[in-house]
Amino acid sequence: MFISLEFQQQNTNEKELSRVTCWLLGAIITALSIALTIALLVTDKAVPGLADLAAKNLDISGVENPVTAVLLNFRSYDTLLEIAVLLIVAVAILPTQSSTTTQFLSVDDKIIISPVLVGLLKWLVPLAILVGGYLLWTGAYSPGGAFQAGAVVAGAGVALSLAGRHDFLWQTTKARVALNLGLLVFLLVAAANAIVTGTSLQYPVEHAGWLILVVEIAATLSIAAILLLLFVRLKKIAERSEQEINQ
Amino acid sequence: MMSWDAVYSLLPLVVGLPLLAAIACALLDSHRWRVGLSILFAFLQLSIVVMLLLAIQHSGAGASYRYALGGWGAPLGIDLVVDGLAIILLLITALLVLILSIYSAQYFSAPNKAAGFWPLWWLLVAGLNAAFISADAFNIYVALEIIGLSAVALVALTGTRAALTAALRYALVGLLGSLCYLLGVALLYRAYGTLDLVQLASTVQANPLTWASLALISVGLLLKTALLPLHFWLPSAHASAPAPVSAVLSALVVKASFYLLVRFWLEVLAPATTEFAMNFLGLLGATAIVWGCIAAFRASRLKLLVAYSTVAQLGYLFLLFPLAAASDISVPLIDSVSDVAGSAALAAVIYFIIAHALAKAAMFLAAGNIQSCYGHDTIDKLQGAARSQPIAVFTFAIAGISLIGLPPSGGFIAKWLLLNSAIQNGQWWWVIVMLVGGLLAAVYIGRVLTIAFAQTVAQSGDKMSTHLLPRGLAMCGLVLAISAVLLGFNAEPVLALLEGSAQISSMGAGGL
Repeated sequence: MFISLEFQQQNTNEKELSRVTCWLLGAIITALSIALTIALLVTDKAVPGLADLAAKNLDISGVENPVTAVLLNFRSYDTLLEIAVLLIVAVAILPTQSSTTTQFLSVDDKIIISPVLVGLLKWLVPLAILVGGYLLWTGAYSPGGAFQAGAVVAGAGVALSLAGRHDFLWQTTKARVALNLGLLVFLLVAAANAIVTGTSLQYPVEHAGWLILVVEIAATLSIAAILLLLFVRLKKIAERSEQEINQ
Repeated sequence: MMSWDAVYSLLPLVVGLPLLAAIACALLDSHRWRVGLSILFAFLQLSIVVMLLLAIQHSGAGASYRYALGGWGAPLGIDLVVDGLAIILLLITALLVLILSIYSAQYFSAPNKAAGFWPLWWLLVAGLNAAFISADAFNIYVALEIIGLSAVALVALTGTRAALTAALRYALVGLLGSLCYLLGVALLYRAYGTLDLVQLASTVQANPLTWASLALISVGLLLKTALLPLHFWLPSAHASAPAPVSAVLSALVVKASFYLLVRFWLEVLAPATTEFAMNFLGLLGATAIVWGCIAAFRASRLKLLVAYSTVAQLGYLFLLFPLAAASDISVPLIDSVSDVAGSAALAAVIYFIIAHALAKAAMFLAAGNIQSCYGHDTIDKLQGAARSQPIAVFTFAIAGISLIGLPPSGGFIAKWLLLNSAIQNGQWWWVIVMLVGGLLAAVYIGRVLTIAFAQTVAQSGDKMSTHLLPRGLAMCGLVLAISAVLLGFNAEPVLALLEGSAQISSMGAGGL
């Protein structure tokens, strides 16, 4: 919704800053940066930090990658809220008019695209989804995880959208479920934990591994859906603004 | 006691329930279901908060409870903490959310807008509650992001060009504030190796790095709280949002960042604060009071007037800092000897927050009702509003009484406590500012009422095509305004409640 605003607003009342103001601002910013640097130089770094503590507890976290352990176990509450942040973006940009169709992905065969492109998509899309799955799985042991996997899977959708034949219908129930699934599953797991162990978000040690995987799979789907939604919606708005400008 | 521990274990629900409500509202396609579930969730939330309040009261004054999420405990994990100060903010949030949900159910009758509104509304509530109970500096950053982004999206819901411009500016300011805060937190982590607020409070020293971090955190939060020189984004954002959103923005959202400022200045980074800096904040607050009132008087639109009045009212809150500096208080989270006058100042400010939240929400709802009836809210064209919209104008007037600080309203008690604390500390100059502020508030509210009660010259019938609003819309605002006044009548129980949070001595409360 903001893009259209930006396109239309041709700098109506923005005055340019005077030269003196610019220099003054520059001087203030430089002085503040120097002060900050000095403050950093004269104080010592905290000796242990939390890395050691995280490493010590890695065994009972259910995963072997310390980053995943922090994101989905030690500080999983932060991640839960971050997925809520993504959901805000999704809701804010979601088209509101309801639709009658139930199909999330629609294909318009009448649009003719190059056979090379069709062939490329046939390879690229499954490959991207496969790589996404791999990244998700490998997150338990080495760098990777839900955010990376979600981004790659969203890439598959972006490729389809750019090719021009496919359209995504975000008003459908399927789309809404995909967007909300990550947060919903995370909350349900947190609640189940509270019932089993007595503390919310505390995984039973022997089940931590697969529970984290379940949370991550759901999060991957939602992250992919939200990123794709952002891309598709912004593309549509940009196209519409372009048309308006051309007219 | 076992049973109270069981109540405390409900604490994560304060964030979990609103998130669940947001998902339910996003998944469901039926307007009726969304509304019904939202009101149900609002009731549930309120009852949980009330139970927590009873548990805190049972534990005695100055009690706090920590909940180690994930069972790790700080510093590895994230803790939630609830104490007297937090529970009061949770309570006022839950109460306002319930009434504003009932209002919004009728306000957003068009399904298109409602579909966007409800999930964002609940996400905003989740963010507010998360900020109130978080005991982790980074987690607070995430909560601030939730609050900021959902508030921006809610402002943009109006869809007009002015609203989109205001929302975009709000988004950029919010982002800058968040980043400043985050940089400050990163510095703290580097120096002290922990993000837990209580652990930070016990290890923080007054050194250049802590000062730098305090400065960054303060600038970030002041931007979000809209203290005077950093208030430029507030009037347009609050004035162009839909009525229930304006109400929640002015009543709660700016208070969340103020609450965090109080936590950082009086508690977490207290060793690094100086009396000069505290007085400087007070000075900015005093300027905000006077300037906000003048801007409110000159405003051409009703909602803009109410928004500028928020800028002024926020100024009063910042008088806490010089008053606290003079008496060297600490908030009970880390608990220590608390000085009588200082904690009286904190109690006064908490009282002020409650009174302002109720009155300002009522005022925005009244302004929203007038706007949707007339189709505009230009103050000069509101002649005869008192006759065509009696309940809305009445609500506006009652809420105005509390904002001015006339007895017997909640605003009066709050100002009285604040005056008392200033006199006790021998800082009489703040008294002058407060009195001038009250007087100026009377002027700008009087201006609206004079026009609203003016007789329209021979045009009864024509042009007054004000369609009637559902009665519920008018009643919600009235309920809020009346509770703002009742708050003044029932000062004793509320002060007793505050006693746990600010540990006011019998002297502070007994003066009434």
